[in-house]
Amino acid sequence: MITAALPTAPVLRSEWIKIRSARAVLGSLLAVFAATAGITVLTAAAIGTSEPGALGEDRLFGAFFGINFGQSAAVAFGATAFAAEFRGGALRVSLTAVPNRTRLYLSKAVAVAGLSFLVGQFTGLVTFVAGQAFMGEYALALGDPGTLRAVFGSGVYLTLIALLSAGLAALVRSGTLVMGLLIPFLLIVPFVVGQVMDGAGQFMPDRAGQLVMRAHAEGSLGPWSGLGVTALWTLAALAGGWLAVRRRDA
Amino acid sequence: MNRIEIRELTKDHGARRVVDHLTFDVLPGKVTGFLGPNGAGKSTTMRMILGLDRPTAGTATIGGSRFTGLDRPLRQVGALLDPQAAHGGRGARDPLLALAVSNGIPASRVDEVLEQTGIAAVARRRTGTFSLGMRQRLGIAAALLGDPAVLLLDEPTNGLDPEGIIWIRELMRSLAAEGRTVFVSSHLMAESASFVDHLVVLGQGRLLADTSLEAFIDARSTPRARLRTSEPERMAAALARAGLRMTAVAEGRWSVDGIRAEQLGSLAAQEGVPLLELSDERASLEEAYLELTADRTPFSATAA
Repeated sequence: MITAALPTAPVLRSEWIKIRSARAVLGSLLAVFAATAGITVLTAAAIGTSEPGALGEDRLFGAFFGINFGQSAAVAFGATAFAAEFRGGALRVSLTAVPNRTRLYLSKAVAVAGLSFLVGQFTGLVTFVAGQAFMGEYALALGDPGTLRAVFGSGVYLTLIALLSAGLAALVRSGTLVMGLLIPFLLIVPFVVGQVMDGAGQFMPDRAGQLVMRAHAEGSLGPWSGLGVTALWTLAALAGGWLAVRRRDA
Repeated sequence: MNRIEIRELTKDHGARRVVDHLTFDVLPGKVTGFLGPNGAGKSTTMRMILGLDRPTAGTATIGGSRFTGLDRPLRQVGALLDPQAAHGGRGARDPLLALAVSNGIPASRVDEVLEQTGIAAVARRRTGTFSLGMRQRLGIAAALLGDPAVLLLDEPTNGLDPEGIIWIRELMRSLAAEGRTVFVSSHLMAESASFVDHLVVLGQGRLLADTSLEAFIDARSTPRARLRTSEPERMAAALARAGLRMTAVAEGRWSVDGIRAEQLGSLAAQEGVPLLELSDERASLEEAYLELTADRTPFSATAA
């Protein structure tokens, strides 16, 4: 029973074809890289050498200046990849090929996770290296304390955000709704709960997960436990989406 | 082996019973029409067969197993559901390829079904620009992809032009002739009569008939013969002796209720009445169907 629910290589390949052939989905995946690396590099080139910590008081976090924009693209990727399935009966067609709903859902999640992890890792590395190349005397080098953790962690963070969005899209069956709520939430909430690092604010999925890219973690969470908190949010969203897909009539 | 078995299948949507204890079989080698007015529960039944909707009670199996338990189901069962099932803004080929790959069907088969359904030429166009007829053909291409022994087609003639309707009719007939199980729903009776062998008729979720096309029509039409004769007075007198009445239809043409051409012919021969023409008049499937479902249409326009 359990093996019937696990993704198989053919089903994963099939999901990759779906992602590859949908412009909006592939576009948002590429935008994760373009936005994170592009905005970081452009900002670093413009003001990187003007003063110490020009891209943020935490110089390590400043090295991932574009991550807020990249995570919006990750939200779009997860949401569009999953939501395509809920438009105009597409899920019914998919289920006639892969009738085990858990297998279909897990295969989609694994495809989204795998692709965003690959793109995320590449994005993290390029963002750090290319961005720091414009920082002159204030540049950090790969290998400085926390840098490798931050580079790896940034890719994991983007993956978790994409999956969080994917799970929500399956839950509410609309990519537009998820993007419309989650992107403003991720962009605005940091300003509202702002610099209050202790209290509930630090447990928000973005706040907690971004700790992995910071040199100094204030509040009660560390870099890895912060990422763990985001992983729990993601797991909850994926579980919610899974229950919805399993229970509802297609 | 490729028999669809429906047993006591029931589906409630809230307090409303959409499908009510359906039991019937769909056999291979025939085109079985699944007929009923809109809202009779045809699509819901088809979705339950495919495990898309959860039955409230009862079972639906294909070749003895539930659809959701099939490994690589496209190779056994092909389905056409709503044609609007947007395959996104992608071309026609990619969605078919994604389906094929998931079931281990070679990519060459995608091109074959695109050819077979006549949309190979437009396969590169965005499906968003497809007409309803082209989407319908794309859906049929998806159903044929795995060369399945069982086909479930929900209103396949929807949106097709007359040429397309002839094409799908011939396709269904040839698929059945190859020994496949073809289960096709329609709310258009006149059209269905040209391709179904067997009928399953549904009204308000209940099974109204499960019979061959011939038997269905015969059971619901009173026998009536038409004739043309040079001596109507003698014919009328002969019929009157048998308790039958002859009514004029047009100049020199008559119709007689309650008798078949066969009996009328021998009667005329006994009496020595010359017949110029003689034929049976049979109700159409549409008439027989309307007779059956007259009081069971939920959205009837005329008040009963």
